[in-house]
Amino acid sequence: MYEYKKPNKKLLKVKKIVFAVISTFFKLLVCVIFAFPFLWMISTSFKTLYESLLYPPTLLPQNFTVDAYISLFEQVHLERYILNSLIILVSVTLLQVLIMVPAAYAFAKYNFKMKGVLFGAVMVAFMVPTQITFVSVFQMFSKMQLLDTLLPQIIPCICNAFGIFLLRQNFMQIPEELLESARLDEAGELKIMLKIMLPMSKSTLVTIMLLSMIGTWNSYFWPLVMTLHDSVRPITIAIQSLRNLEGGLEWPIIMAGNVILVLPVLILFFLASKKIIEAMAYRGVK
Amino acid sequence: MGEIVFKNICKSFGETKVIEDLNLTIRDGEFTVLVGASGCGKTTLLRMIAGIGPATSGELYIDGEEISDVPPGKRGIAMVFQNYAIYPTMTVKGNIEFGLKNRKIPKAERETLIAEVAETVGLTPYLKRKPSELSGGQRQRVALARAMVKKPKVFLLDEPLSNLDAKLRVSMRTELIELHHRLKTTFVYVTHDQTEAMSMADTIVLMDRGKIQQMASPMEIYNDPNNVFTAQFIGTPPMNIQKMKDGKHQLGYRAEKVQLSETKPDLLYARKAVVLTREMLGSETIYKLQLEEADDGSGKTAVMAKTPNLMFEVDSRVYIGVDRKDLYYFDEEGRRLRGDGISPSLEKMTAEGGES
Ligand SMILES: Nc1ncnc2c1ncn2[C@@H]1O[C@H](COP(=O)(O)OP(=O)(O)OP(=O)(O)O)[C@@H](O)[C@H]1O
Ligand SMILES: [Mg+2]
Repeated sequence: MYEYKKPNKKLLKVKKIVFAVISTFFKLLVCVIFAFPFLWMISTSFKTLYESLLYPPTLLPQNFTVDAYISLFEQVHLERYILNSLIILVSVTLLQVLIMVPAAYAFAKYNFKMKGVLFGAVMVAFMVPTQITFVSVFQMFSKMQLLDTLLPQIIPCICNAFGIFLLRQNFMQIPEELLESARLDEAGELKIMLKIMLPMSKSTLVTIMLLSMIGTWNSYFWPLVMTLHDSVRPITIAIQSLRNLEGGLEWPIIMAGNVILVLPVLILFFLASKKIIEAMAYRGVK
Repeated sequence: MGEIVFKNICKSFGETKVIEDLNLTIRDGEFTVLVGASGCGKTTLLRMIAGIGPATSGELYIDGEEISDVPPGKRGIAMVFQNYAIYPTMTVKGNIEFGLKNRKIPKAERETLIAEVAETVGLTPYLKRKPSELSGGQRQRVALARAMVKKPKVFLLDEPLSNLDAKLRVSMRTELIELHHRLKTTFVYVTHDQTEAMSMADTIVLMDRGKIQQMASPMEIYNDPNNVFTAQFIGTPPMNIQKMKDGKHQLGYRAEKVQLSETKPDLLYARKAVVLTREMLGSETIYKLQLEEADDGSGKTAVMAKTPNLMFEVDSRVYIGVDRKDLYYFDEEGRRLRGDGISPSLEKMTAEGGES
């Protein structure tokens, strides 16, 4: 006879609890490991110079002060760099979208001569690292006498090959009938792109824009080689040069600068995280 | 107005020819049903009319005007797609409104049109919803409303009821027929369901592998099929077709016309048979019967009979008989023989078939 063995309910429950405790512990540990440098940075930015040099270090500021932030703007004039960074960020992002969306639409839904070759070129652009191309780009801008302006920091970045690829994949999944239906509704191609394709790919577009915005905001190498004067340089370079202030290494000021540098990225990420997860998750529902 | 004329139309996808030299006139104001098995080219035809899947060669006229170069939006047609193709990111209202907006119809007029059409298809309470929050039937209605609101001269409907449950399908059928009576515009309706075709059509166009087999009213296509394909496609169960004694001609009769009796009937066609299965439908009974020997001598063969007579048990021996006027003759290629084509020798063969 077959006998059904009752599982020991108590044992199961204990197992479950032990597992939950252990897994929560590890999750917390990972969180702390990742968050600690950030917390340390924020904490230090609110310390006085003296306190920041104390040994053993204090975990939280004893004398809470925003002096570091004030001197960032009064001595270093960080606002000028922030403005540069913002101009670059907004122009690059806008131009990228302006180029990326029609390109992805064409690659996804049109047949034209040399389509394969052109898309191959996009893929190559996506795979070749900028470090390889920068010499020739540098020479081009030098010939055009545009070095040491904002332009070389904007123009080489406006074609987002990865974005074109990702958005094309997304557009390709949109059924042809929807476009045909729209054409029967007398919608022009621009309208189809803006009113039908884009709303259906919103999360992908947001993800692409976010990644590219973070990249642009954080870019360091490219602006460094393309510019000479502080008047056209972005915030990243300013933060780096904080190490060379007259007073030596002023940790609170350096940390305050870094807080200002990462703050927009964090805010953006929290605003868009839902969309990013949406874009990355498998979409089972039509 | 909305007469559609196909002239020598061909369509291929790459190497595969889907439609070859098709000539067809869809009459103005009629409810025409394109029917045929899956993959026979029904959708392909509709897409040509809509202008979203142009013909490879040939001419296409709407109202006498050659429209190969007219863009889809300017042809005065509206299409309901097989899979609805409603815009998922727009509300129901947005879906209906999209075409109107593109035609620059003023807002006030749009509102009245939308309210009107939503009322007709029963979508008024759902106007603010997204398609993902609707049932299959409601989505179908959105697709219909979107077509109706454009007031086209030709409606193209590609299996619009295929995803609905049986009950809703029947009621939507009636609604569509009423809609057609009200609008009196040309409807081209695609289905692979012959019952649907029979119940809705003014004219049925029966297709097989890209060719038109017959185009006629439901009555005519049922009573007077042009060929074996039509005879077997239309009607449930399909027409019984038997090879004749000479091994060339074919003889057909509808299950509804078969008479069952215990003694040999005095009819032109009479054969001995055994009841294989009996399926009672209420008012009628469908029998599957087995003939001991087919006319062409190829052995046992099965035929269907549909009669109000339900007294024959499984395994009992019966006679089947068919009246002379209910017999259909076809030639070797499956073409129907009529009038003088039916020679006395053919009828003699029919009468003798069972004996030898
Ligand atoms: N884009 C295409 N490329 C290649 N072949 C195609 C294409 N579209 C349709 N076909 C072929 O053309 C034939 C007719 O297709 P069509 O869609 O018109 O069939 P249908 O009668 O509408 O069938 P169903 O009832 O299943 O919808 C099919 O054999 C199909 O494989
Ligand atoms: Mg089809």
